[in-house]
Formats: sequence, structure tokens, C-alpha cells
Amino acid sequence: MSDISRRTLLSGSALLLASTAMPAFGWAQTPKKGGRLVLAADSEPRNLNPAIVASNGVFFISSKIVETLAEASFDGKDGLEPRLALSWEGAADGLSVTFKLRDGVKWHDGKPFTSADVAFSALQVWKPLQNLGRIVFKDLAAVDTPDDFTAVFKFAKPTPFQLIRNALPALSSVVPKHIYEVGKIEDNPANNAPIGTGPFKFGEYKAGQYYKLTRNADYWGKDEPYLDEIIYQVLPDRTSAAAALEAEEIQLAAFSAVPLADLDRISKVPGLKVISKGYEGLTYQLVVEINHRRKELADVKVRQAIAHAIDKDFVVKTVFLGYAATATGPVPKNDPQFYTADVPTYPFDVAKANALLDEAGYAKADDGKRFAVKLLPAPYFNETKQFGDYLRQALAVIGIDAEIVNNDAPAHIKAVYTDHAFDLAVGPPVFRGDPAISTTILVQSGIPDGVPFSNQGGYKNDALDALIAKASETLDTAARTDLYKEFQKEVAADLPLINVAEWSFISVARDTVGNIANNPRWAVSNWADTYLAG
Amino acid sequence: MSPLNRFLHRPETLAGAIILGVLFAMALFASLLFPGDPQAIAGPALLPPFHDWSLPLGTDRLGRDVLAELFHGARTSLAVGLAAAAAALLIGAVVGTLAGFAGGVVDEVLMRITDAFQTVPSFLLALAFVSVVGPSLGVVVAAIALGAWTGPARVARAEVLSIRERDYVAGARVIGMHPLEIAFREVLPNALPPVLALSSVIVAAAILTEAALSFLGLGDPNRVTWGGMIAEGRTVLRTAPFLSIVPGIALVLTVLGVYLAGEGVVETAAVRRSLS
Repeated sequence: MSDISRRTLLSGSALLLASTAMPAFGWAQTPKKGGRLVLAADSEPRNLNPAIVASNGVFFISSKIVETLAEASFDGKDGLEPRLALSWEGAADGLSVTFKLRDGVKWHDGKPFTSADVAFSALQVWKPLQNLGRIVFKDLAAVDTPDDFTAVFKFAKPTPFQLIRNALPALSSVVPKHIYEVGKIEDNPANNAPIGTGPFKFGEYKAGQYYKLTRNADYWGKDEPYLDEIIYQVLPDRTSAAAALEAEEIQLAAFSAVPLADLDRISKVPGLKVISKGYEGLTYQLVVEINHRRKELADVKVRQAIAHAIDKDFVVKTVFLGYAATATGPVPKNDPQFYTADVPTYPFDVAKANALLDEAGYAKADDGKRFAVKLLPAPYFNETKQFGDYLRQALAVIGIDAEIVNNDAPAHIKAVYTDHAFDLAVGPPVFRGDPAISTTILVQSGIPDGVPFSNQGGYKNDALDALIAKASETLDTAARTDLYKEFQKEVAADLPLINVAEWSFISVARDTVGNIANNPRWAVSNWADTYLAG
Repeated sequence: MSPLNRFLHRPETLAGAIILGVLFAMALFASLLFPGDPQAIAGPALLPPFHDWSLPLGTDRLGRDVLAELFHGARTSLAVGLAAAAAALLIGAVVGTLAGFAGGVVDEVLMRITDAFQTVPSFLLALAFVSVVGPSLGVVVAAIALGAWTGPARVARAEVLSIRERDYVAGARVIGMHPLEIAFREVLPNALPPVLALSSVIVAAAILTEAALSFLGLGDPNRVTWGGMIAEGRTVLRTAPFLSIVPGIALVLTVLGVYLAGEGVVETAAVRRSLS
């Protein structure tokens, strides 16, 4: 109650301030109810079910509607804060995890939320259907529901509790059993108009125009949400987001919808703020993927030469305009649990790169070229394409003649991950808080053809495979963390792929938008406490 | 007055000729003035024009020399423009001559095919073709020619229809020349001038189409093109507008030059015809 009275007091004093024509920033301290937040959306996912498609494009919209068991947090224990689960406890033998669930939560259609929904989501959706859940929950055998607010996950093989914990924010979207138990889950109409427990209900979607979310008056969070409506205005053209912000047509552009090159200018526009926080849990990695079927590239000396030829500082400074960090290995520097700097590094050194190539037996021909490669930059980001242009030049300097092949997104995925029609590719994999979720798959062998964002370069290293297998069944958190430190060393030494940089996104918002970036996955969290002042 | 004098007498034609001359010089001397890879990184990124005289037009987002890119881009633009126009004129002249000279079913079939190609907007046709086959210089040339040959075909056919009734054609028939020989040796050369008059329009359109394809990311990514330069500059339009403006101006001047010079040629030819 003391919280409420303070809030009332503050808003009262803010009213007083406003009445005496004081600057409006007094408002920014007090969450205000009501209002419509309009923001830019650059893609239009058709399937909005985050329990099936665990990707940031889907989360961006549906995380406000469908909630997870826990959300990432800056200061919570183990970097988590409760959502639908109040607590989680792992058994010592690694065979079970017990979740205590929140009482009094209602689905958007009025039915109560219970442990049966969690059991259904885990067994019928996350494990068999979800892109990431297939890996993390592969040994999940059953979910016991002793009462309505307890769910006990039973694993067939010991599964590290640390991994389950780290997977909660992205992988544990709970969908309603009573909606999904009829018919095929993939074809359920709720995939396009989700029903959840979140602070906002799905309103409507007009293709090419907008998504509308409306306030859930029955939300379990006290007084939340503050906003009445969220409108995702579809602006596929990146240059238009900045103009729309300046024209006050939208109040927020997340996920770097404003091009990096425009940030310097737009930060000087009165009424707009540039925020680089709130994406700590969504680190993208700029990676050179290598096809080890090419004789030249199967030689570790050639891969080391390529690593030495890339000026990472230049890439961070020029391609990312400083909004990135140089990478040392497969785990990003900003990861608090696993990162180690104690790995072999490859400083920018053209002479050394040339020497390594000569040593490998690929001498320069008369025209200064050693061999030719096909380079496929991923088309998803401006930065991956630009880095492709840079890499072509960097390789030319050491006598490797790279021919760039541009594809659209589906053709790129097919060419690299199914047809293996590449020598080098530029990819942006995501680090999701634990190497076992989506990082080890990038280097591990034995993955079937056609799995996107996995090792499709034909790389096979038995020592590394053994290390990954051992880490996946090590229950002790400290021992598991050490194994992943060793994994980073091994990857950096043998270079199945080359990690160049790590970046996150930037938000640009009007000053009136409050409670921005208050957790490490803010753009894809539920926004129950986001508000509009003034 | 000699034809050349008459040609250069008109000020707009002279301007067109000068622009074209400069363009050809840029394309010819690009490798001499800017040896090596024009896409090599030459300095700090996003250097504005006229700040550093070793990089007079500044640098792009990766620090590549804009002037060098402009010169090498002239090469691509001219090469694509001329090659696409030549291909379009060749296909058009052959199809038109065959249709006009043979008449009957052949004429019907060829002209309906021409109709079919004419009903599809040529740019869409090029877009579809390049996205299916994959972007490279040869494919882009073919894609543009695919949408541009119908105009020459129609003009050639109309011209052939009137020529084939002339006495010398009848004469050729009488002495037993093969019909194809008559069509391509006797008729086509005389039907060519009005077809060639279309060339300036086709070259100009081809250069624009190539730029538009590159702008949409369907150009050859391993080559500098003006359209690609504009597309790259677009992401930094508000902070470094020169990156789009410089190749944009080059594009406008080129198309203008080709058009003015082409008009001049047509006028000169027309005067000569009426004089003779």
C-alpha cells in the first residue's frame, strides 16, 4: 500500500508542477495510465505463436500477449524474475524441475490458467514443435501436475538445471490447453490471433498496415498494464522509421529500425532519446561461416589466415559505427555466466595471414591471387551485407578472390543450410544466454541437412563433439561452466567458424515513453509497466 | 554543310555529344586513372566531398573512393546500355524482318509473341528474369533486352511491309535468290535506319533499368554500378546525401546525353534523306 500512496503523492505533485507551467519531465517519474503507444514494425510474422516460433520477430509482438514462466532481469536471482511461475527448483539428480505457478491468472477468454496448460505446452508444443525447444527439452519425458499450481518436469536423462533456467525467458511461452487441444496445433487459428495471459490482448491485424493490441483489464499484475493500446505500424522501409519518429507519427522504433548512421543526427532532435540498453539478453554475433568441404578451407592455417586478415576494430567502427564489440569466440563478451577471454586470438596482421597461406601451400599466382571463393552474405541486416563487402576487400588483400552472391532470405537459407552451395557465408546467429540453446549447434557434427543456423559446413571435430556431449549432461553448474570455457578455447583454436563481432540493437523513443529498457530482453518482454507520460 | 557540321551545329546535340564523349572517356580511362579494385578501401569512411584532394568526391560507408567508383560505374552503365540495346535491336530487327517479309502464319505467330512481351511491363519482366536466373552482368543485359526488343520488331516489320513491294525485291525474286537471302541482304539493310533511330531511347532506358535493378539489389554485386551506389547511399541519405546525389547526377546526365545525341543523329539523318 505504501507504494500506492507514494505514487498518488507523486502524481499529485506532478499535477501541481504542471499547473505552474513547470517543465514536463516531472511526469516521467510517475507511471501514468492510458494512452496508445504507436511503434514501428519492420516485419510481419504470420505465425504469432511464440511457443512454436521462438524468434525475436515473433516475440516482439506476441510477448505482450503470451507470457513465459519467467523473464530475464537485471538484478533478479540467476538473472530471472517470475512471470507465470513464482519459483523454480531443480532436483540434485537433474531428473526433475519443480515450478510453483501463479494463482488467479486468467486466459484472455476468461478461463483460469492452471498447471495443465504448462504441461500441455511443454509436452505438446515446446518439445516436438518449437525450433529451440526441440534441443533443450529433448529429454523431457513427462510433466506431473500434483495440483493446479505445481508443475514437475521429469527428464529421461539428467538435464542441467542451469540450462533449463537460462532457457526460460525465450523458450517457455505458455499457450492455453483448451484452445490448442482440438485439431492440429500448427493449423490452430490462435497461431495468427494468439490467446494468452499477458497484459495485452490481440486486437486485429491488417496486412501491410498494423497490428493492434488492446489492454487486458483482468491482468494479474496490480494496476498493470498502463497502456490502453499498442499499435505496431508496419514500416518495412528502414529510412521511414526515423522520419516517422520526427513527425511524431510513432513514439518508438525498437530493434534498430532507425539506421545506425542516422543515430548521431537523431539523438540531437529535441524530444527523442536514443537508448542502447534493454537488449543485453539478445546478443547477435557476426560470424563467418565456413564450408569445410572446400579443400583449401579445411586447412586450419587458411582459416587462421582469414581470421588474421579481418580487422575487427575496423568492422566495429565502420560497419557498426561503434554500436558493437569485437568478438573473441563463440560466447559474447557481455555474457555474465560463461564468457572467457582466455582463448587464442587473431590480431589483424596481413603479413602473418599471407605467411600462413604460403605455409599452407597456396602461393600467390602471377595475378596476385591464390584461390577463389564464393561468399554469401546473409541478407537479414544491412550490417551483414556491408560486412560481406568488407570481407571481400579484406580477402582480396591476402590474395583470396571472393565473389559475392546475393540472395533473398529464403534463397540464402536454402543455399547455405540445405544445398551447401557456398564457400564462405556471413551469418548473424543469436546467443541466447546458454551455449547449449543455439550456439553449440553451430559447430557440432551430425546435424541433418536443412536445419537453419546450424553447422552445415561439414565440420567434424571429435574432441569438440565429445566436449559438447559431456557439457550437456554435466549437472554441476561450476563444472558445466568450465566445460563451456574449454569449448570456447577449442572453437577459437580450430576455427570451425570465425566470430568477428557482437552487437545488439538500439531503440529510439520519444521522451514521453516511460520504463523503457528496464530488463535485458526489454523489446521482447511483456511491457506491462510501459507507459506514456504527458 | 557536311553531315558532321550539321550534326554539331545544333547546341543541344553538341551538349549531348560532349556528355557522351566525357562518359566514354571516363569508361575508357577508368582503369588508367584508378588502377586496381575500385571497391578497395581507400580512406576513412563517410569522408565528405572536397575535403581531401586525394579523395575529391569523398568516401562511402566503408571508405571506398566515390570518384573511382563513379568512373568504374560509368563502364558498367555504358556496357550494359550498349549491349542491351544492341541485343534488343538485333532480336527486334530479325523478328520484324521475318514477320514482315514472310507474312501469313509466320507473321501472325511472331507478332502475337511480340504482343505477349509488350503487354508485360518490361521492368517487371527484367525483375522476374534476374531474380530467377540470379544476378550477373550477362543476365542483366539479357533481362533488359528481353523487354526492349518489341519496339524495334514492330518498326522493322512496318518498314519491311512497304519495302517488300518494291521493284528491286521483285527483281531479286526473279533472279532466283533464296527468300531468306532477300530478306536479310536486300530488305533488312534498307529497313534499318528507322529502327536504329530507336537506339538512343533504348540505350537510355537500358541504363535506367540497370540502375533500378542494382538499386533493388539485383545487379551484379561484384561490380560497381551507379544504381548500387545510390542504393548504398540511401541508408545514410540524411547524414551523407552526396553518396546518393553524385551517382544520381551522373545517371541523369548520361541519360540526357544519350538522348540528345540520339535525337541529333535522327535529325541529321532525316535532313540528309530529304536532301537526297
